[in-house]
Amino acid sequence: MKTTSVLSAHLIDEIKALPARYPQPRSAVMPALDLAQEELGYLTPEAMTEVATALQLDAGYVEGVATFYTLFHLEPIGKHRFYMCTNLSCTLRGAEELVEHLRGAIGVHEAGEVSKDGLFSYEEVECMGACEYAPMCRVDHRYHYDLTAEKVDGLVAERRSPAAAAPLSSSPLSPTLPPERGEGDKPKRAPKKKKADG
Amino acid sequence: MAEQRGTVGGPVLTEWFAKADLHTLDVYESLGGYSALRKVVTTMTAQQVIDEVKISGLRGRGGADFPTAMKWSFVPKDHPGPKYIVVNADESEPGSAKDRYLMENSPHALIEGAAIASFAIGGHQAWIYIRGEYDLPYEMLRDAIAEAHAKGYLGDHPFGSDHALDVRLYRGHGAYICGEETALLESLEGKRAQPRSRPPFPAVKGAWGLPTAVNNVETLSTVPWIIRHGGAEYASRGTEKAKGTRMVTVSGDVQKPGNYEIEIGVTYRDIIEGLAGGMLSGRDLKVFWPGGSSAKVLPASMIDTSTDLDGLKALGTMGGSGGIIVMDDSHCVVKAAARLLRFYAHESCGKCTPCRVGGNWAVRTYDRILANEGSQLELGILERVSDGLQNGRCLCGLGDAAGWVIESTMRHFHDEYEDHCLRHTCNVGKALAHA
Repeated sequence: MKTTSVLSAHLIDEIKALPARYPQPRSAVMPALDLAQEELGYLTPEAMTEVATALQLDAGYVEGVATFYTLFHLEPIGKHRFYMCTNLSCTLRGAEELVEHLRGAIGVHEAGEVSKDGLFSYEEVECMGACEYAPMCRVDHRYHYDLTAEKVDGLVAERRSPAAAAPLSSSPLSPTLPPERGEGDKPKRAPKKKKADG
Repeated sequence: MAEQRGTVGGPVLTEWFAKADLHTLDVYESLGGYSALRKVVTTMTAQQVIDEVKISGLRGRGGADFPTAMKWSFVPKDHPGPKYIVVNADESEPGSAKDRYLMENSPHALIEGAAIASFAIGGHQAWIYIRGEYDLPYEMLRDAIAEAHAKGYLGDHPFGSDHALDVRLYRGHGAYICGEETALLESLEGKRAQPRSRPPFPAVKGAWGLPTAVNNVETLSTVPWIIRHGGAEYASRGTEKAKGTRMVTVSGDVQKPGNYEIEIGVTYRDIIEGLAGGMLSGRDLKVFWPGGSSAKVLPASMIDTSTDLDGLKALGTMGGSGGIIVMDDSHCVVKAAARLLRFYAHESCGKCTPCRVGGNWAVRTYDRILANEGSQLELGILERVSDGLQNGRCLCGLGDAAGWVIESTMRHFHDEYEDHCLRHTCNVGKALAHA
């Protein structure tokens, strides 16, 4: 008999309500993993088992889905995760040097490593579909364009000091309200669009 | 705030893009938006919609280039239960950003197009499968769908008719393979995204086992214009067989990277030197990918090639998803190919052996070559692996695409491969050192 669970009770309830949104209940597995990852930061085996139980699916099946997709994390990640595009269009514009610069800026040696303060990690990712702004990256649910070493420093600095991070909170989507949440609790949109470039 | 980089005020897709707040229903409607959906649900039959799109000659813009009206007509008309339109918004072909550009500028055009397509196949629900990294387009579509529902343009009685229409969103989670339509359907069903064996085709057995037409964002965003202006007007643009306009994304070593709306039939010179402003100063064009990283490369000498889709096929390459990656003479073709092979090996879903194994063989071979450990043997391995990846040995085209990168770069730039493998030098590096 289970005494403690890693996912909160209200989250389990939310997950149980997901299957009704789809023609077949299995489609709820990824939105459910989203919710779990959002709460814990990454997907632990226990979390995946609880998701499976809530959806009446096999735990191995849920883990099979989670391991297939790159946006599900099975290891701890930094509070701010830099997704650095290094596919061809960005590499032609200097993406590899920027990754190297980012490593120094956040103090890690390799992709996936979390900085000592727990604030940062990064990964190199494939094309994110913003090639006209290469080199680019995604961090905290937003794209950042025309990257330079200075811009990377700026992105890191404004996440280190809460004061400097103030402009972020006016973004239409603050990092604490990811879009994965259900349609009912969507964040208010700011009147202007395209805040992609911080 | 990111500025638009690309065509605003073009002939079809980008017609209204100069208008501020086009993403809101009010602005979109004030320009004529949703008049096509109104016309369709209040005055047309499903067959009339299909016929109009057939006249337009519209072909799928996701890369496969399949006639849209024909795809819709494959969905059985007499099927009693639900049928679905699934929108492929999982744009992830390297070099392609045009679907993002369309959704960020005009989300309502996609919603209107998806609703019209649902009507045309006799369905009531469209699902937009959007890649997980597209946060902003997702939010814009979510808000736009809510607006359309609030106005009663989607719902049980759109424009007072009795044909219920709904558009819903589903987020992907990072897998290039989801751009392949049957893998996308697997993912939408909550599974690992591995392509299905066909037949049955999605038109018969698609999403959740039901008849489905999968259409690309750009394809559906074009449909409202075709209904407003007539298929013949659309077909008056383009070439004899490849009709209309399309989006291309130009990226890489050009002055003005961007998403441009072109009339099909202009040349790559028109795009690279004209729209994209030519090469970065002091450099020359070396090679370009004419339609995403999966399209076989063309060397600089072929810059006058037409964007005519059939002409590109005749050359053995393709217009694909429209992602034009431009590389100048300061970059090494072998290194570029090695980077792309890392991509294809990483994104292989693992289902078919030639793709799963071949991609990794190629990566290991390129690694040896770039570590100056190459020889005649490595050239031979690349040729064999490239052949093994191609020619329909797998369920989908991912493996073929990986093979095309190897084959086409080796064909046009064999001297660079020989420099690396036989002489352990990179003459591109030397040229740069002198610069």
